[in-house]
Amino acid sequence: MFAIFRKELRSFFMTPAGYIFMSLFLLLSGIFFVTANLFRMNSNFNAGFIGSAMFIFMLVSPILTMKLFSDEQRFKTDQLLLTAPIRITDIVLGKYLAAMAFFVITLAVTVLYALIIAIYGDLVVSETVGGYLGFILLGSSFIAVGLFISSTTDNQVVAALVTFASLLFMWILDMIISTLPTDQTSGVVFAVVLALALSLWLYLSTRNIIIGAGVFLVCAAVIGTVYGIKPELFTGFIGRIVGWFSVLKRFPDFAKGYVRLSSLVYYLSFSGFFVFLAVRVIEKRRWS
Amino acid sequence: MIRAEGLTKRYGRHVAIDHLDFSIDKGEILGFLGPNGAGKTTTMNIITGYLSASEGRITVDGIDVLEQPEEVKRHIGYLPEQPPLYVDMTVSEYLSFVGQIKKVPKGQMKLDMEKIMDLVKIHDVQKRLIKNLSKGYKQRVGLAQALIGNPRLLILDEPTVGLDPKQIIEIRNLIKELRQDHTIVLSSHILPEVSAVCERVLIISKGAIVATDTPENLSRRLVGSNRLAVRARGSESAVTKALSGIKGVKNVTVQSPAEEGACDVLVEADTDRDIREDVFSSLVTASAPILLMRPMDLSLEDIFLHLTTSEQEVDQ
Repeated sequence: MFAIFRKELRSFFMTPAGYIFMSLFLLLSGIFFVTANLFRMNSNFNAGFIGSAMFIFMLVSPILTMKLFSDEQRFKTDQLLLTAPIRITDIVLGKYLAAMAFFVITLAVTVLYALIIAIYGDLVVSETVGGYLGFILLGSSFIAVGLFISSTTDNQVVAALVTFASLLFMWILDMIISTLPTDQTSGVVFAVVLALALSLWLYLSTRNIIIGAGVFLVCAAVIGTVYGIKPELFTGFIGRIVGWFSVLKRFPDFAKGYVRLSSLVYYLSFSGFFVFLAVRVIEKRRWS
Repeated sequence: MIRAEGLTKRYGRHVAIDHLDFSIDKGEILGFLGPNGAGKTTTMNIITGYLSASEGRITVDGIDVLEQPEEVKRHIGYLPEQPPLYVDMTVSEYLSFVGQIKKVPKGQMKLDMEKIMDLVKIHDVQKRLIKNLSKGYKQRVGLAQALIGNPRLLILDEPTVGLDPKQIIEIRNLIKELRQDHTIVLSSHILPEVSAVCERVLIISKGAIVATDTPENLSRRLVGSNRLAVRARGSESAVTKALSGIKGVKNVTVQSPAEEGACDVLVEADTDRDIREDVFSSLVTASAPILLMRPMDLSLEDIFLHLTTSEQEVDQ
């Protein structure tokens, strides 16, 4: 894993993609810092700088992740990695951590901005530290999504575009959630659709109609029972489920300087999930 | 050393390789011969653990590739058809990265690298970026990569493809040198290539093994087809007429002429007859002096045709 990590990190410093990411991020976030904090004499670092920097990171992070796996496939170098005596998990983790390290190094440059505020204004240290921590966690989820998408294609451009679209979707997810119906009926319908999707997936992967139908019946029975006992559980059900994918919703706590264990676990498991998916995708390619 | 039993790989409905059974002994050089798309690369990818077989199993030294992949991969050096090079690295950076992922101890790696770079003659380019190297050098770096960690088994997929004749001879000699310490499997779609270095040849066509034998025996089996390329001075019609009259000649095809006043023809005769003397005398009679006469080398396609048809005849 360490060899892969070093090789990837080095390649960020040796290839244009790394510098394009770094310079775009620093340039744009610098402009935001100057306009939102310096010109307005605003010492609220989180509201001024970190909020906009996060948006910029969403725009440029596909550059960081697009080639992680797609290039290996395109140049067939994955044949070297996958025939070497290392585990796929180590390969994926090495790459993920390298992208994370490069992101954190880039972000470290912006600590200068915080220092400027600390010298010439009032910097709330706890909030700033929380803001950075939240930013790193949020970034880790974005990078995990990008890594996963890069593992599914051998084309960098496709990887970048799909990553960008997915991140944008995650970004506006909260807006979408607020427009979703919250009444009980639609909650039940949504639950049934979920159950149907689950059983269909089970059926398609096992080709066993009994498992598929059985799971669907069990789910339907559970939904019916819950509806009979506590129908109010289905109020706003869609929003709650979709909300699981809203990585942004958990950020404001960090910006206020609160580090909640639940949010920490959420971000880590969100990233872990996508890293795991990437491992599965690569593993599965051997069988296809 | 390697044992494959009922090896099958399907891509959806397409069957890439179909129930292959073969074994490779220690210290042997085995050649996979077959046209493009025959399943050579797929088989090699399965041995190295890059792909998994849909059915059947493959063991290296008795260890299943699927059960203990890391243990098996430790003993395999693989040069895929397209060398897996990181073009943004220099040669020595690349080789030490390979050493790291192959878990070669640092002290040994230094010695190994010197030795391997000497062997494949890439010492003079070790500080250069791989992307700036010529195709021949890239191939050698690919070979160097496979040799790192001193694997007992070397798998080389078309190791000489795209190289110029001088480089081909160099790589062949290199492979011969390597046979002392390694079991080698290589693939090619060119017969002389395989017969030059291999002790045993496995002919694969459409995912199945068509024949397996030593190169000498294979060519003996193939001395059936009888074709001559003839260039004679004279008009096309006269030459064709003279040659068609020979007993046993099945077919005379006119090729595009290469010399002024002469014509080139390809003569196909029955397999049990040597027609060279007859060709000589009949062309003398037709006063069309022979400028060139040469038995045609068998192309791989001919061998396949020959082998597949004869196998079918046996089946019937």
